[in-house]
Amino acid sequence: MGRKVAFIAALFGALALVGPAQARVEVQWWHAMSGVLGDRLNELVEKFNKSQDKYTVVAVAKGNYDEVTNGVIAAYRAKRPPEMVQIAERGYMTMLLSGAIVPVQDLVEQKGYKIDFSDFIKPVASFWSYKGQMSAMPFNSSTPIFWYNKDHFQKAGFDKPAETWQELEKQLYAIKSRGISECGTVLPGDFYWSLLENYSAINNQPYGTLANGFDGLGTEFVYNKTKVVSQVARLKKWLDDGVMQIAGQGFSPEQLFTSGRCSTFVNSTASHGNIERNATINWSATFLPHESDINPPLNSTIGGGAIWVMKGHTPERYEAVAAFLDFVAQPETQVWWHGATGYVPATNRAYALARERGYYKDHPTREIAVLQLSRGTPNENSRGFRFGNFVQTMLAQRQEVEAMFAGQKPPQQAMDDAVKRGNEILRQFEKLNAGKTPEAERP
Amino acid sequence: MTLRLSVPWREARAPVLQRRHGGGGSKAVPAAATGTSRRSGRARPREEAGLKRANFGEGPGLPTLLLLPQLLILLFFFFIPSLRALMQSVLLSDPFGTNVQFVWFDNFRTLLASSDYRQSIAVTFWFTVAQNVLTLGSALVLAFASDRIVRGRSAYRTIILLPYAIAPAIAGILWAFLFNPAVGPLAQVLHGLGIAWDPNLNPTDALILVTLAASWKHICYDYIFLVVGLLAVPVSLMEAAAVDGAGPIRRFVSIALPMLGPTIFFLTVMNFIYGFFETFAIIDAVTKGGPAGATNILVYKVFVDGFVNLDLGSSAAQSVLLMSFALICTLLQFRYFDRKVNYGV
Repeated sequence: MGRKVAFIAALFGALALVGPAQARVEVQWWHAMSGVLGDRLNELVEKFNKSQDKYTVVAVAKGNYDEVTNGVIAAYRAKRPPEMVQIAERGYMTMLLSGAIVPVQDLVEQKGYKIDFSDFIKPVASFWSYKGQMSAMPFNSSTPIFWYNKDHFQKAGFDKPAETWQELEKQLYAIKSRGISECGTVLPGDFYWSLLENYSAINNQPYGTLANGFDGLGTEFVYNKTKVVSQVARLKKWLDDGVMQIAGQGFSPEQLFTSGRCSTFVNSTASHGNIERNATINWSATFLPHESDINPPLNSTIGGGAIWVMKGHTPERYEAVAAFLDFVAQPETQVWWHGATGYVPATNRAYALARERGYYKDHPTREIAVLQLSRGTPNENSRGFRFGNFVQTMLAQRQEVEAMFAGQKPPQQAMDDAVKRGNEILRQFEKLNAGKTPEAERP
Repeated sequence: MTLRLSVPWREARAPVLQRRHGGGGSKAVPAAATGTSRRSGRARPREEAGLKRANFGEGPGLPTLLLLPQLLILLFFFFIPSLRALMQSVLLSDPFGTNVQFVWFDNFRTLLASSDYRQSIAVTFWFTVAQNVLTLGSALVLAFASDRIVRGRSAYRTIILLPYAIAPAIAGILWAFLFNPAVGPLAQVLHGLGIAWDPNLNPTDALILVTLAASWKHICYDYIFLVVGLLAVPVSLMEAAAVDGAGPIRRFVSIALPMLGPTIFFLTVMNFIYGFFETFAIIDAVTKGGPAGATNILVYKVFVDGFVNLDLGSSAAQSVLLMSFALICTLLQFRYFDRKVNYGV
């Protein structure tokens, strides 16, 4: 007994000695990166922690994006939010108007760091900023690109995939009819993002009124009156003809491509890591196709996540947060992250640095996303999307598209219904946030 | 939050309850007890109940103490969350709770007006009914068959019970994979038979698939109860029937089945509750409620609207409706079927 007490006393004594030496300010960062991406993120955090001796960032994996969001909501309601949290692009409006966040540009500038926010690639900057101020720090930004099986295309007598949907359709049908592969393409799990939203941006089609929501909460979806209708009709036709397959639950669309079963695949540039590791095929990638009557095509928009800073912490902790965000924005960090994961470098300076070092000579497909994002000048159809409850409207839309795939309704009606349901959800958001965005927002 | 918690906590403490019990009799206990205890209470004659109470010794102190853990669990994991759900269901709020509006019954009105919700009700109805019939039917056949086996009976029983040990999510992924139209071996068999099976595209196929998976997972539960029920059938009755020339199937249908009445009734209730609430993981692993909402059962919709869409008001309204629906269902079942079921065995 006596020995035990002595031991405990010694332990406390030791802790007391260690205590003052550990003056580092510790802040938490909840994130949604798993697998290889999670390892890379931990490496990044470690780099930061080693680069200085004042602050420690603790990265905590909280599951997928939905789980992170729910985790931070619960924590905020319990008044114990983490300092930083990674939230997906679709949650932008929810976070922005939550009243629970500190805009990053304000914070970083207030703490005396000089991040050149005008240097961010345009679709990235416009997506994450509000009234000209960056509200979250772009972290993992991606965009969909077009992956293809080189051998299949060569066997069919094509150099590479065509640039327009019309020509591409002919190629895919040729590949299928000659029995070169079982399916021309596979429906991406996030087809609403790549084949509807990015499709609209690239082909200069409005997705919603009021500049896709940039000009106010009164926005309404309009994609039932654009080329999106013929786009979903095309997908339905491909499905019926067996040119496109659905991977379905328990199986990832990516596997259908990397195993050589399907010849092409539209997916995020962030899958570089996975495809490089898993593919048994001779693959390459190129730009997403565009409509033959739209020339030149516009930029695509981003997906992925950003780092939000939560309200309710002490100034010292915000010092640590600002230092970390400054570290993330450094060209060196950006280039490293770009190379390690396949996400795009968020700033022009970082992109130039990667180019300068000849990175794209060895990794040509990694440049596609950057070029596709930064081509031309974004207009109000391609700047991005500002829809509240964007996850909910997307799920309603996906349901309608699935109903159309199942033959329950024709494309036009499916899109009409999706828009109608989406608009009801947007009105709900407008009602909840009434008066929060009084002035129209223009960069 | 803590303030609200502290009041019922104090009430639930033993001394307070003791005082209450002195005057009010044993009312508090049966009111908080579940349906099962009500059943057993009814099965026993009154004089026997008095005898039981005497065995507990002086006063209600000990029973209260023994009930306390269960009551506390109910308080924290049922009553308080239910109350919160009720409150949330009349609010329109952003997920962070910084902007809250009181909207009366708007959430319910929107819900009942939406075709999505009506579809979910229909899907849930067909899903639970089909699951119930399939589960009970298969379990009955298996119980009947394994009851007649003499050699290796316990081995058969163990095998039949195995699926119960598999986590629902794993079971779901297994089924999704087996019936995946691109790679699943069983889907290939179906395609070979000329059936255009595709649960990723075809809503009916998807509903069939989740019903099969959910039933498969639950057959063993029903099976255990039915096997035990069959053991309770008096051997003399069966032998007498056999002497009279009744075959095994006739004996099962005319003697064993009616005597299994209470068990089957209980299992029906349990199967409905299973279908309503516990099939979430299977749906999530097999179809995620799709395609086109074909397998979007009520409890899954509560989850998606609450945790993915962050529409807390609607999600709370749905759980309130779901809870009252399950409550009404169970009450009706007890009220109208209870009397027709023979509890005498």
